[in-house]
Amino acid sequence: MKISLDWLKDYLPSLDLGADDLSKTLLGLGLEVSGVERRGAAFSGVAAAKILSVGKHPNADRLSLCSVESGGEVFSVVCGAKNIAAGQIVPLAKPGAKLPGGRTLAKTVIRGVESHGMLCSAAELGLGSDHGGILILKPDTATGADLSSSLAKPDVVLEVEVTPNRPDCLSHLGLARELSAALSLPLKRREPAAPLKAATELKIALAVPDACPLYLGKVFSGLEIRPSPGWLCARLEAVGLRPINALVDITNYVLMDLGQPLHAFDCDKIAGGEIVVRYAKSGERLAALDGKTYDLTAECLVVADAQKPSAVAGVMGGLESSITDKTKKILLESAYFAPVAVRRTSQILRLRSDSSYRFERGTDPAAAPLAAAMAEQMIRELCGKSVQAPAEGAAGRQPSAPQPITVSAGRINEILGSDFTPAEISAALGRIAAKHSAAGNGIEFTPPTYRRDLATEWDLAEEAARLLGYGRIPARALVSAPAAASRLAPIAATILRCRARMCAAGLLEAFNQDFISEKILAAARQTEAASWARPANPLSEEGAVLRPSLLPGLLQNAALNFSRGARSVRLFEIGKTYRMENGAVIEDWRAAGVVSGAACEPFWRGALNVDYDFYRLKGVVENLLPSSAQTVFHADSGDGTPAGPGWSDLDRLFHPGQRAAAASGSGTFLGFVGCLHPQAAAAWDFGARTVCIFELDLEALSALSAGPAAKFAPYSQFPGSWRDLSVVVPKSARYAKIDKVIRAAAGENLKDVALTDVFSGKAVEAGKISMTLRLSFGRADRTLTDEEVSSAVQNLMGALEKNMGARLRGA
Amino acid sequence: MPEISRKNWEARLEAVRSDFAASALDCLATLEDLELFRVKYLGRKSELTELLKLLKDLAPEDKRALGPQAQKLKSGIETAVARRQAELEDELLQSKLANESLDVTLPSYREPRGRLHPLTLVMDEMTRILTLMGFSLAQGPHVETERHNFEALNIPKHHPARDMLDTFYLKDAPGVLRTHTSPVQVRVMEKQKPPLRIICPGRVFRHEEVDASHSSVFHQIEGLAVDKGVSFADLKGTLDFFLKELFGSGTQTRYRPSYFPFTEPSTEVDVRCLFCGGSGCSACKRSGWMEILGAGVVNPNVFKAVGLDPAQWSGFAFGVGVERVAMLRLGVSDMRLFYENDQRFLSQFDENLA
Repeated sequence: MKISLDWLKDYLPSLDLGADDLSKTLLGLGLEVSGVERRGAAFSGVAAAKILSVGKHPNADRLSLCSVESGGEVFSVVCGAKNIAAGQIVPLAKPGAKLPGGRTLAKTVIRGVESHGMLCSAAELGLGSDHGGILILKPDTATGADLSSSLAKPDVVLEVEVTPNRPDCLSHLGLARELSAALSLPLKRREPAAPLKAATELKIALAVPDACPLYLGKVFSGLEIRPSPGWLCARLEAVGLRPINALVDITNYVLMDLGQPLHAFDCDKIAGGEIVVRYAKSGERLAALDGKTYDLTAECLVVADAQKPSAVAGVMGGLESSITDKTKKILLESAYFAPVAVRRTSQILRLRSDSSYRFERGTDPAAAPLAAAMAEQMIRELCGKSVQAPAEGAAGRQPSAPQPITVSAGRINEILGSDFTPAEISAALGRIAAKHSAAGNGIEFTPPTYRRDLATEWDLAEEAARLLGYGRIPARALVSAPAAASRLAPIAATILRCRARMCAAGLLEAFNQDFISEKILAAARQTEAASWARPANPLSEEGAVLRPSLLPGLLQNAALNFSRGARSVRLFEIGKTYRMENGAVIEDWRAAGVVSGAACEPFWRGALNVDYDFYRLKGVVENLLPSSAQTVFHADSGDGTPAGPGWSDLDRLFHPGQRAAAASGSGTFLGFVGCLHPQAAAAWDFGARTVCIFELDLEALSALSAGPAAKFAPYSQFPGSWRDLSVVVPKSARYAKIDKVIRAAAGENLKDVALTDVFSGKAVEAGKISMTLRLSFGRADRTLTDEEVSSAVQNLMGALEKNMGARLRGA
Repeated sequence: MPEISRKNWEARLEAVRSDFAASALDCLATLEDLELFRVKYLGRKSELTELLKLLKDLAPEDKRALGPQAQKLKSGIETAVARRQAELEDELLQSKLANESLDVTLPSYREPRGRLHPLTLVMDEMTRILTLMGFSLAQGPHVETERHNFEALNIPKHHPARDMLDTFYLKDAPGVLRTHTSPVQVRVMEKQKPPLRIICPGRVFRHEEVDASHSSVFHQIEGLAVDKGVSFADLKGTLDFFLKELFGSGTQTRYRPSYFPFTEPSTEVDVRCLFCGGSGCSACKRSGWMEILGAGVVNPNVFKAVGLDPAQWSGFAFGVGVERVAMLRLGVSDMRLFYENDQRFLSQFDENLA
């Protein structure tokens, strides 16, 4: 909220701080100052002048030609206002004067007569909204005096951020109280209000005393709706409010001064002369001051007349009962509405105001009568001479005062770790207490009615620290021993390991938001919309779904990088995905990646310039899997390994002939690696690029990695031997099967099988391919003989011939 | 058998000596020429070898006098030949090496370098410091119950403090996307008995329009310490240490009052501006200080919500915005860059952030 220093001094006449020091003091109290505005006259070159004569303009009936004197000089000025007369002291803007809005006044000729300046209205000087006539200054104003400092006081306006626990600071009085306590300055208090007289012509009924325990009304008649005087306009404008008319301005002024929201009704529009504070009935509607009509529910608190709601209680008045130029009789409301009632109403209607902002945080019930009295005084001063003493009505009673809190200085020091003396703690708390006394070893502290946030010794510890300074609390090393150091959760360890390995594989880590659009999911060929988790209130269509997979986001990133000229894309992400299951959102940890384009920097030895492809990415994925776990890559997940929930839809993102399902040897499904489906590639405009992707279930991977840590396994001291074997097999043969057959047939001396070459074409008959295998043999206890190796090769070749239709090349 | 006279022998040796002295050993350019040279002077059929053989025909006293002369000449020639051979071999090696030289300034064949996301690097760095201080890692779900995200943290329904936490709710499912990592405090205290010291780095969600300094998804690191007799002073000691490790040993801190529903007293912690050192610049809005984290003494209502007795236990909690720290450390001025995943952005940051 905006706070005017000039206004603040109404309460703290002895406050003598500049904007910087004031900001620092407020910051030390927990009130951040987010902006400082220096205000002053928005004009210069305007002086007081005495009207010597008012004559008729020779060429215009509506204009007059005035002779004015300022500083001994006489000026001839053309004027259009009707409220001027000889002898008045008025502001004269002389040629060269600067007026608000950046206008510079020049000598002008108006309807054939030269005008040596301009007589100004309050509005023309930026001093208010009164355009009605020339601003008439006090008769004792010296002519020739420059008006920039006397008419527009210099002021400093602070934008203060008030946290939700401190509604008492949402006013000039409230901040003055804080500063008074912090700086030990005397606070100039207002006269307490006399108790309101019993209702006479006004009947007030409180149907829901919990939601509205206190309601005060004053009925004024015979008032005129007119503009506010300059000082009032200036103060409201300083704090960012637009002056409207004196009555509305008075309610706003009291709001900013005391923090108590007021509302004025046109009393003639209150049916039955009766006010009922109640919950709305279903079907009731109200056209509010903002011009919109609201459908009220039974949870909306309203201020109604005998027939219908006239205002949304504590939030906004109704249009029908609002003040107009014709209003003669008003009902002024000063009430205490319970925070929850106002907040709920405001949330249901999605309607907020300065008033609801304060009520929902909690106003001071004791300020209600004070505000009513202050408003009455101002109305009588500013709304015409014929304003009558108001008829009054009060209903309900003050909510019970806050309970006293008992605390000791020792306990406060214990909470803070400080060593403040009991005397300074007691004195500090005394400055903010309603009542405060030493009670035995402790302090009995009764919070004021406006500090409902104070209820516990922790609250008072904070108050003491705030007033004595957080900086005075020492910094102490945490000495207690931590609980037994806990190991990383398995999933956290798996994440760390995957991240490191993907980095080692040359991939860059990406972070995408968890929200994604249906459009992108459609591009990714995802169809199982029923299983998507969604935010109920997405920011936009772009974030309508909580990502069911990491890949659509990564493909977006790939497209962006290609569109910006990247030669290749190599991205991975580790994060959560979401799915609906039995009416609840399930979160899964996943790792995913996308690679495409050149797999290295351009190199001048051509053979090494290779692009990312399926087999390269498969290798990256294999390196993510624990070496202790046997992992098999199935050509399809139907091969005995059921994919987990949500994966069948993701399968649609892959080229059906170019993707493998990773699974553990024991049959746990781990994820997919493969090439992007051509339709998805087209949707992202990847053109002819080969785009390879993978996504893994990290929870499954993590479970696989569990188990005892690896132990050293001694390796053979005896040299091994190897044989190369070129076999021709049908094209339909799957390598995994070949590998399996070889391992089963070769016996225990076979250590490893590596595929070193694959080719087809002229040298190989149609429908077949040639594979060259390097077979490594060895034993831990001795060197193998040639015969042993040859016999193993013979055995496995026999098995390959029998099971795979293989034959030796050249045989 | 022809007799050889001493005089004759001496004349022949002198002839060999002067012939060798006149030879152009240093002009021999190849090892082959050198070999011919060696054979000529030292070979089995050389004059010198012949003369050494003839010594036996001389009188014993002549033999004694002349033998050493011949041996001396022989070893002189051998040394000279060996020296020349070493020279020639070295020349040969040098020219071979010269022929084999690579242009080592040609570009390398390089595997692309993988990198962690800058937010991961910054989170890891903060986690490293805090785990050294005895905090262990805890985790919680992104989809939280309202009880964990709000009520147990002393934020009842219809409390205006919920305005500070614009929330994503879920469609057709209970719960909210957690608005902060603080619910992990509750989850840990529900399961484990104090003393406790935990941190939780993780994602949080706010219903806020995305711009240069706001994101609807961002990261926090939550910390919580609970024990007997833990006070605001312990919080200051811990965070001072943490911030000095993070930003440098000269880092100055400032604690000022603030409000969080789940701590009391609450504080915002500022550090002296990392750019101007406190003299005031645009980065710190001329204040000389930068807001880094929020913290406070655990509110007794939070203890009550998890069944701990606030008269017995006390603690402190803090929360750091990861993006904010990363932006300060890395000089990134637009938060959206972290989520755009332009590889030119992702390739800039290495493990060493300082």
